[in-house]
Amino acid sequence: MKYRLWLGDYDNDLHLSKDFFKSFLSCKNDNPVPSEAFEVAKKKISNYYEELRKVAIEVAEKEVEKELKREDRYVVMLLKALDELIESINILEEKYRDLVEIKNSGVVESLNRSINDLKKLRKEIEKEIEDIMLKIAPNLSEVAGVKLGARLIEKAGSLEKLATLPASTIQVIGAEKSLFKAISRMKKGKKARVPKHGIIFQHPFIRTLPKRKRGKMARFLASKIAIAARVDYFSGELKEDMIEEVRHRYERIARS
Amino acid sequence: MKELQDLKEISHNIYKAVYNNKEILLTKSSYPPYYGERKFDNLREWIPSRSKLSAVLLKGYNLKFRGDEKLLYLGAASGTTVSHISDILDKGIIYAVEYSAKPFSKFLELSKMRKNIIPIFADASKPENYSGIVEKVDFIYQDIAQKNQIDIFIKNSNFFLKENGEGIIMVKARSIDSTEDPEVVFNEVLKELRKRFKVLAFNTLEPFHSDHIFVHVKVLK
Repeated sequence: MKYRLWLGDYDNDLHLSKDFFKSFLSCKNDNPVPSEAFEVAKKKISNYYEELRKVAIEVAEKEVEKELKREDRYVVMLLKALDELIESINILEEKYRDLVEIKNSGVVESLNRSINDLKKLRKEIEKEIEDIMLKIAPNLSEVAGVKLGARLIEKAGSLEKLATLPASTIQVIGAEKSLFKAISRMKKGKKARVPKHGIIFQHPFIRTLPKRKRGKMARFLASKIAIAARVDYFSGELKEDMIEEVRHRYERIARS
Repeated sequence: MKELQDLKEISHNIYKAVYNNKEILLTKSSYPPYYGERKFDNLREWIPSRSKLSAVLLKGYNLKFRGDEKLLYLGAASGTTVSHISDILDKGIIYAVEYSAKPFSKFLELSKMRKNIIPIFADASKPENYSGIVEKVDFIYQDIAQKNQIDIFIKNSNFFLKENGEGIIMVKARSIDSTEDPEVVFNEVLKELRKRFKVLAFNTLEPFHSDHIFVHVKVLK
């Protein structure tokens, strides 16, 4: 039986690897490694723990940095900043309107200028989110729209997580409160109304339908979003017929 | 400045004292404060609302450490609890696993300072991925708020726990089933654990953490 340790391969004897950093990252074993293997390793190199710690810290530093720099995290953080920004703009504008009515002084003027600057910044951020979304999640952006797509990634935590969510969960993301309320009512044997849609309600194809048709469309759209997210995460190529399918379905539901 | 009163060592490097008419827990440490806790000479206060293990000990359940154990810590987060365990096991080794990048980057700062911590950036639900790094350990400490936290513990103990090894699991009812009554969830958990381990003790963490219990287990012979 051969085992892979962080510092080399073990089969009754330890063969040190040339690059500890490489072997550290690929020391996967399907079965537990016998403790003799580690005993041998500790004898093979002096200051075993010191060396292990050095490699572990260096590897972890690189991995964490990679993880923190991921583009979907960038989008999520941008989106959060954008939310704050929009809120601030609204508050400031309200205050500006009050102020202008009282007195149009120099300070009030520069407040107005600053608000306009913030609005410009808002456009910039929106543009940046759009650019990156089209790069990292073209299908999701196509099917759900850039804004909703980014919002779904934010709520799920990452593109990876969104790609592993079932369509039924995606359908009710953002409606957790009413969903769990409904579930706990059902457990008690009472009647419950399960939400039809969470934030995907923002999608124009759902929003514009009459109430009784929204559930059906939400179900369909959520399943397509789930597929789109998976395609984006695993292959990244654009599948053009997906949005056509959605539009088709929308028109059929709208007409029926 | 008030003084510590009734200072006594309850386990290796762990102290209890009365300060300001309140019982507090401390660990012996030559390192500076890490998360905003108070420091009295060479003792660092161990805040129960920040660390569940401190809550366990403050509630009167005593864990005996020798100080040279090897410990696997699952769910290190930003390293608040690990910093104290690192104080306690001053001659031991702590393998600390965490999968969330943000807290891990803070935890890395701690690992660089302390010579007995080996940080592992990996998913605790896939122990096979770090099976070539972690040797057999005396103790597994797990604090992971995941739905399958019991599975994770069992998997890891199969891989890494010594024959007479022990473990502590912090079970959060809300993350296993948010709609079920916590009592019911805890009973399920205990039933599951009893299939494979001897349950030495369990208790709630009230008033420090609500809807949590700790379970102390030992490998069945």
